[in-house]
Amino acid sequence: MPNPINEVFEAAAAVAKGMTVTLKELMSPTVTENYPDEPPKFEERYRGVHVLQRDENGMEKCVACFLCAAACPSNCIYIEAAENTDTVRISGGERYAKVYNIDYNRCIFCGYCVEACPTDAITHGHGFEIASYNTATLIYRKEQLLAPAPAGAKPPVIAEEAPAGH
Amino acid sequence: MANLVKFTIDGRELEAAPGTLVIDAAKRAGIEIPAFCYYEGLSLQGACRMCMVEVERMPKLQTACTLPVAEGMVVRTDTPQVAQARKGTLEFLLTNHPLDCPVCDKGGECELQDMVFRYGAGESRFTEIKHHVDEKQWSPVVYFDAPRCILCYRCVRVCDEGMGVGALGVVNRGVVAEIAPNHGDHLECDECGMCIDICPVGALTSGAYRYKTRPWEMEHVGTICTHCSNGCRTTLGVRNNQIIRGNNRDSSGINGEFLCIKGRYAFDFYDHPDRLQAPLMKVNGKLEPVSWSQALAAVARKFSDVKARGGNFGVIGSNRTTNEENFYLQKFARQVLGTNNLDHRRSGDIVSLLDALHGQQTALATTADLYQAKAVVVISADLALEHPLLSWQIRANWRHHAAHVYVVTTEPVREDKYSVNAARCAPGQELETLQALRPQLVDEPELIFVFGDTIKGEKVRKLVEFGASLGKPVKYVCLVDYANSRGAMDMGLTPELLPGYRASGMPGLTIAEMLAAEDLDVLWVVGANPLAGASLAARGAFVVVQDLFLTETAQAADVVFPACSAYEKNGTVTNVTGEVQRLKRAVQAMGTKPDLEIIGLLAREMGEAAQLGPWSADKVFAEIRATVPGYNVPLPVILTGGAAQTSPVNGRVEAPARPELIRSARNGLFSSGTLGRYSNVLHSVLEGRRQP
Repeated sequence: MPNPINEVFEAAAAVAKGMTVTLKELMSPTVTENYPDEPPKFEERYRGVHVLQRDENGMEKCVACFLCAAACPSNCIYIEAAENTDTVRISGGERYAKVYNIDYNRCIFCGYCVEACPTDAITHGHGFEIASYNTATLIYRKEQLLAPAPAGAKPPVIAEEAPAGH
Repeated sequence: MANLVKFTIDGRELEAAPGTLVIDAAKRAGIEIPAFCYYEGLSLQGACRMCMVEVERMPKLQTACTLPVAEGMVVRTDTPQVAQARKGTLEFLLTNHPLDCPVCDKGGECELQDMVFRYGAGESRFTEIKHHVDEKQWSPVVYFDAPRCILCYRCVRVCDEGMGVGALGVVNRGVVAEIAPNHGDHLECDECGMCIDICPVGALTSGAYRYKTRPWEMEHVGTICTHCSNGCRTTLGVRNNQIIRGNNRDSSGINGEFLCIKGRYAFDFYDHPDRLQAPLMKVNGKLEPVSWSQALAAVARKFSDVKARGGNFGVIGSNRTTNEENFYLQKFARQVLGTNNLDHRRSGDIVSLLDALHGQQTALATTADLYQAKAVVVISADLALEHPLLSWQIRANWRHHAAHVYVVTTEPVREDKYSVNAARCAPGQELETLQALRPQLVDEPELIFVFGDTIKGEKVRKLVEFGASLGKPVKYVCLVDYANSRGAMDMGLTPELLPGYRASGMPGLTIAEMLAAEDLDVLWVVGANPLAGASLAARGAFVVVQDLFLTETAQAADVVFPACSAYEKNGTVTNVTGEVQRLKRAVQAMGTKPDLEIIGLLAREMGEAAQLGPWSADKVFAEIRATVPGYNVPLPVILTGGAAQTSPVNGRVEAPARPELIRSARNGLFSSGTLGRYSNVLHSVLEGRRQP
């Protein structure tokens, strides 16, 4: 036969224990994020929408070596390469990506492309808001993936216009 | 054989003929000995030191590429010392080799890359700054990046020995040694790209393929080059329905690794901006694009009308269309149109040759025979420019088997350099000059005569009589111009002959007669350009043209059908030595159709498709094999990309040979008829711009 007085004490103790946790959490900083009212926070290594990086001169780091496309398990990277010339200089290397598309319908954000890149040109950014009703918009072009040129960077495009005779 | 040498490699007891190199013997036994400078068929260099092996009772490691096997020799390729030597060699090779694989066009199929991956050390002990030299462009198609070069001399040797050009050499010594072109800062050569192909690293790269893609991104389609008649296999690298490059990466085909500028680069006509992409029809005196159904209906209606009122047709076939297309065309002309006015541009007197050789089964040489024969006589042809593969074969034969080469030409040719007797003759006096060589020729154990278009008609018979009088096994090659010149003749695109050299027994007009005939009602031209430099006498004739481009003939046409090039269709072609090979479609060109399909659709439009049969290349080829004498070639050989020689006609050719119609276009290395006009590469190289 349980003792009713003991029962009251035990219940009160349990409530007090629960309330301690509640009060403690009430005092500690909040972890819930108010997305979308406030921007979410990311871990540094979060693998979001890719960013194609530029070097300190504002040149594209990508040299169109196709290794990311080769490493990609879902075959979602499409590249067309072209050669830098004296008049058109896009990347720091001899060649650059004329076309660089990532198909986010297929990308699984595994990060293999980033690992494969010999020039650290492709990185994962923190972008994630890419949901769309139209899958055609999920094929991102180079212009959408490129990092902005650093402020004050002067890309060494040799000649503004083609010299006479060409 | 009794005199085989017995030796051991890696504990395996092997046998080989005396003189076999250790590297070859090992390869045959499935033991890989890595090497850069060693290249089968070229002279030995011993430059790269990669093929080091341990040989018992020899104090130091030996280079397997220069070491012939000896009785009782014990070779080891798997010892720590050998592994160490390989590692060291690669470390040295990489002292100045830039690590720019990601931007190098060779990346992915680079021998140095593969070797370092397999045998190299992970890192280098050299901390010095790498010696840098800027990349140079030697010609529109050849780039040279000196720091990548490992000085294996393969390019120097293939240019000198393989091509007989010798445009490359090595200048300077030590760390600044580099390959140099013959004109200081640029190349003047055959522009064949063999140096690029043979380069084990990315030192020599192609201007045409430069930075376009990477090897693993392409699909590789082995087909037959559509330019000259030699029938080289070219493997087209295709990406996104575009031909990116041509080479022969697996050395398959009758040409091995060989390709000239046309096979390697001159595929570029296929996407020339002037390429026709819709049928054209003359409306108010101007050619306007129309739909296929309109154009087909208009032509079929005209054909049916003219046929119904017994009008005159003229049909001109092509030297480049496939055997199937030629066969189907002549069948259409003879059965549906009921005309025997059927011809093509003839460039070699194969008819006289087959007639003169009747009854002899082995008198036609194959491409491989030119490499094996003890002696070759070249008459009236500049092989190195006009038939580069045959020239390559004969040169290799001379190098490897010390074959005796005789030349009888009016002008000096490249074959002179290694011939035992290079005789100059006055034009038309070839056979008289050949007679003077008789004392030498009669001593040869066997002979191949290779002759050009000036030997025709009676002269062919005299040549065959001369050959027979030597009393030795003699074979012949009758040179013709284009990829399927031989096939056009075989498929009966002439008034006097049916497929397989059976006499048609009916009169018919030749090209010149068709153009001159004032009562011609319809002229149908498939892949030819007879109106270049000629005019059509019949003003009112309805002209139908099937071509890739708006040629002079197409401009004069009433209806033009845009046709596929050889790289856009399937079928078979027959090369200069009568070897049948298969085309494989690499790309599709928008708006075009294969000539076979165009002819078939015309037949259907006219309601005559039933009597011609289906217009699929395989079905027509099956019919050719079943009905054309000599063409019952083994199907598995053809289907697997091999070459099978048609057997010579076993009997007289009961029709006139018409030697007066035979004239070769004499295309050199940088021209190729109509297609050559639309190839930017052929015009971009210095040598191509120079020619008249």
